[in-house]
Amino acid sequence: MLKIYFELNGEPMYVEIKPGEMLLDLLRRLGMKSVKEGCRTGECGACTVLLDGKPVRSCLTFAAKIKGHRVTTLEGLGSPANPHPLQEAFLETGAVQCGFCTPGMILVAYDLLSRNPDPTPEEVREAITGNLCRCTGYVKIVEAVLLAAKRRREGVWR
Amino acid sequence: MGIKRFHYARDVEEALSLLAAYEGRGALLAGGVDLARGLAPEVEGLIDVTTAGLAGISADGGGLRVGATTTLEAIRRSQEAQGYLGGFLAKVMGHVATLPLRNMATLGGAVVSAHPWADIPTALVALGAEAVWQNEELTEKASVEELYRRPFRAIFRRALLTEVRFPAWDGAFAFEKVARNAGDIALINCACGLGLDGEGKIAWARVAIGATPHRAKRLTAVEDFLTDEAPSEELWAEAAHKMKTEVEVGDDMRASAEWRRSAAAAIVRRALDRAAKGVTGDA
Amino acid sequence: MKVVGKNVRKVDGIALVTGQPVFTLDVTPPGAVVGKILRSPHAHAEIVRIDTSKAEELPGVLCILHHGNVPRTPYTTAGQGWPEPSPYDSFLFDRKVRFVGDRVAAVAATSEEIADEALRLIEVEYRQLPAVLVPEEAIGPGAPVIHDEEESRGIHDPQHNVAAAIDIRVGDIERGFTESDVVVETTCEFPYVQHVPLESHCVVAYLDEEDRLVIRSATQVPFHVRRIVARALGVPLSRIRVIKPRIGGGFGTKQEIILEDVAAALALRTRRPVVMKYSRAEEFVAARTRHPMKIRIKLGAKRDGTIHAIEMDVLSNTGAYGTHSLTVLSNVGSKTLPLYNKAPHLWFHGKAVYTNLPVAGAYRGYGATQGYFALEVAVDELAEKLGMDPLKLRLANHIRAGETSPIFEKIGEGRAGKAQVVKSCALEECIREGAKRIGWKEKHGKKTSEGRWVHGVGMALSMQGSGITDIDMAAATIVMNEDGSFRLLVGATDLGTGSDTILAQIAAETLGVAVEAISVYSSDTDFTPFDTGAYASSTTYVSGGAVLRAAQEARRRILEVAAAILGEPPESLDLEEGHAVSRGTGKKVPLSEVGHRAMYVTDQRHIIATASFVAPESPPPFAAFFAEVAVDVETGVVRVVKFVAAADCGMPINPALAEGQLEGAIVQGIGHTLYEELLFSPRGRVRNPNLFDYRIPTAADVPDIEVVLIPSDEPTGPYGAKSIGEIGINGPAPAIANAIYDAIGVRLYRIPFTPERVLKALHGKSMG
Repeated sequence: MLKIYFELNGEPMYVEIKPGEMLLDLLRRLGMKSVKEGCRTGECGACTVLLDGKPVRSCLTFAAKIKGHRVTTLEGLGSPANPHPLQEAFLETGAVQCGFCTPGMILVAYDLLSRNPDPTPEEVREAITGNLCRCTGYVKIVEAVLLAAKRRREGVWR
Repeated sequence: MGIKRFHYARDVEEALSLLAAYEGRGALLAGGVDLARGLAPEVEGLIDVTTAGLAGISADGGGLRVGATTTLEAIRRSQEAQGYLGGFLAKVMGHVATLPLRNMATLGGAVVSAHPWADIPTALVALGAEAVWQNEELTEKASVEELYRRPFRAIFRRALLTEVRFPAWDGAFAFEKVARNAGDIALINCACGLGLDGEGKIAWARVAIGATPHRAKRLTAVEDFLTDEAPSEELWAEAAHKMKTEVEVGDDMRASAEWRRSAAAAIVRRALDRAAKGVTGDA
Repeated sequence: MKVVGKNVRKVDGIALVTGQPVFTLDVTPPGAVVGKILRSPHAHAEIVRIDTSKAEELPGVLCILHHGNVPRTPYTTAGQGWPEPSPYDSFLFDRKVRFVGDRVAAVAATSEEIADEALRLIEVEYRQLPAVLVPEEAIGPGAPVIHDEEESRGIHDPQHNVAAAIDIRVGDIERGFTESDVVVETTCEFPYVQHVPLESHCVVAYLDEEDRLVIRSATQVPFHVRRIVARALGVPLSRIRVIKPRIGGGFGTKQEIILEDVAAALALRTRRPVVMKYSRAEEFVAARTRHPMKIRIKLGAKRDGTIHAIEMDVLSNTGAYGTHSLTVLSNVGSKTLPLYNKAPHLWFHGKAVYTNLPVAGAYRGYGATQGYFALEVAVDELAEKLGMDPLKLRLANHIRAGETSPIFEKIGEGRAGKAQVVKSCALEECIREGAKRIGWKEKHGKKTSEGRWVHGVGMALSMQGSGITDIDMAAATIVMNEDGSFRLLVGATDLGTGSDTILAQIAAETLGVAVEAISVYSSDTDFTPFDTGAYASSTTYVSGGAVLRAAQEARRRILEVAAAILGEPPESLDLEEGHAVSRGTGKKVPLSEVGHRAMYVTDQRHIIATASFVAPESPPPFAAFFAEVAVDVETGVVRVVKFVAAADCGMPINPALAEGQLEGAIVQGIGHTLYEELLFSPRGRVRNPNLFDYRIPTAADVPDIEVVLIPSDEPTGPYGAKSIGEIGINGPAPAIANAIYDAIGVRLYRIPFTPERVLKALHGKSMG
């Protein structure tokens, strides 16, 4: 076993992990159930989390690697009582069908808008290309991200 | 059974000592994308080399030096890479996988994994990039093209790739790829480069083709054919035609040799055309 | 309408966008153990010996199941109504394996690692049997018999590997072709494709405090799970409770009982909660696929373009088991042939054939998708031969409101159907609107080139159904709370489609309240009334019909109480904005007062209403699809530039959700049209059971998609609604095929249209 310190959604964590444990399993074990297992080969994106603000696949990231780093899951963005503007935008535009891809999708969108506050539809599509959705055809997801970007520019953002 | 220990290597020497100590039961870990997908059952110890201070990109004359653990996305976004050959290398990175995977995968990993279908080896072979590696005794270097002619998998069982050096080129490169959809690996890819002499004739040409489905190779016969000729649509068509007889293609479940031969000709022609326009500033 | 027809937010949306633990595996009971399945390495083999002793000795292994220690009851894994139209040809574990990936044994262990190790330690000796991987060979002479077991029932002709067959004739087909001025004949092929829900099959099974078996499952059919598990395990139905939490997509593959039976058996044997999930590889190999088909179609038409005779000859590959074999086969004809109802002469015939390949099952579109690919490519060819604009040919022949087709009566769900007159149809408007948006007039037949990219446009029509006539039944219960809010209990299964939301909208509209006043609880066999489940495009129409009737009854009871309060007759009252309001006097009383009075004050009663609804018919939604493609003539790469779908789903209850169904279905359809396909080794192993080599569309692959809902008013549907869940997937393959033809003059008859196939066809053309 290995003990590591890291920051999870802004809170310090000190946990014991198995040396071969994957970040996906660690996060779900810690109750971060928004992190989904869809393929375990890095293709689908359902397990995407932000590592030091950058989207990565938690299914291919060894948990030991996050020692001393910052991890953000969807739980860190908003809650039912206090949803993030991106989460609101996904709700409003009908960008959620089954919702299984949604956590990863919102996190890559969050990363995009942090880097590019005024993306074109093409830039949104390119940014979320690594996150598969089988329900929506992506049309309303792209709309949601553009709507959130607009609100962000208008100052409704945390 | 399974991973028993995880090490954070502080430098290359520590990584190599640990690797040696495991006697085949240890593995160097960088981005982890390939390693985690296909972890060998005998591996007991993981040695993280991303903590060894190898990441970084720097301009080197007209060339570029990229530390082995630099992520593909970091290269794509770096000023230095964007300044190298009109951003050619940075653009190639944009063809590779998808953003979250590029945030993890490293250049060193791509060179060492050397998937036959991968895009990076094709670009590196065309560019004449040089790989630098260390084992417990010494530091070695060779062009990536040369490296792939050697038993490189055996080499990297006891060595660590530390850096890739990209030479300066007076000219331009272009990359082309056909894939099934966005984020896919190549069904065929190529990277072509051209430089012109004072009279507007081709001073040098580099043509590499990959995912044939074999690992990237240069087509020197095509390069020679192009050299000293004047760029033209007709020349590209002739070169593409010549390439059809030179290129070694094969079947796999993704595409047939026959299709690869046709598609290779098409993308080589396009890449040459784009490279030529890059040289003349038309692109 | 206050609520119906509005884009209200999904009632489960906030939980989903904030990542709450609402999916099957997000909550696991303490002490849960892991179940795993050992799968066959052979396509066809007999299990001669199975030795589990080494595996059982491994610490942490609790139980191993195999054919030697479980009941041998034939059943079907198809979650369909009873009596089941699919053959009983499956067993919990069998002495024989019939495809690479078939079940051999299952292990329950205290950890995943131990379960994996236990699987490795099970010794199985196989006697390999000749395998047959090609449907034509499976029904040929001397083919190995895949289902030679005595216990199976309902197989059409087991000796010849025919799971199901159909032969329907209307009029006189020979005469029909003789009388036709123009005849075209073509054969289209649909390969193995998979649903790829982001969440793979998963289940948690445990015994509750009363020793009843609880199955929490990602299923589209909780009530069928209960019935089928009861049969397979010999457990009384009353001892089983099935709960469906939020599920991560289904598209038909979760209409199958392929994990619940094993998990339940392990839970009963170990008396521990058992968690099971399919890996992505298992999902590709051992879940379900669309039925691969070869469809030969022959069309005859009069010179004026009236389609006069249609023959469809189907060879469907059901894989190793016959789940949905008959009904998918039936649907190839029953959902397509009525579209061109002017033809008096029809012959629809075909077989669903066993092979030693993965098992096909229900997949969105359900045979119609395969049928429309063939039909709409053939109609395009017919138009060309007639020298007609394919759009005009379709306009001249498609069914209209007030019309019928003999097919409705001839083909039902595994039995004869029921005559039906189409009561609502806006297909003509769909065609005209879609044509306008794609620029049909300007673009069709005038291929334009942009360098190596050659553009073309193509179109296709489609209809589907709304539920299964006289079979699909749903029930709903409305419970009023004393504060004037309601609980809506439905057996209907929201698999991400938003059905909980639209059912709440139907209830809210009827009860004169906002959607927020309705709490929906769905899909729990102990606490919600029956519903056949989420399949056959049934939920809006059938479950919605039940909700409407339950809400109407609740409304009647509310008005009785309100009438007593207001001193006016109930007939003079309406429910509006949370009040009962008199139309005459304008006097009103809030529902909270009605609720309090009913529950606590006078003549106490709980206002609860339950209603059932059986689909009296299956009103078809209609759609017109238009694709613009660009073909790279040097590499064969096809790019969909624009895709337009104009659809008539009756009155959309929630337009945004209806659009979402279309958009999602279209993109899935683009996937199977351009790249999705399971590939097999010569020994029947899936070569690409992963998302690395089985590509599904990404956001960057999606063209400019325009969907338009053209409303019609379906008199038998709740607030005029029909279905929308499946129809969208029928359009892309034929519309894109026809667009490719328009661009490059080459017809492609086999999807996916890979660069390889396109280039080959192009070269074939230039050589020929």
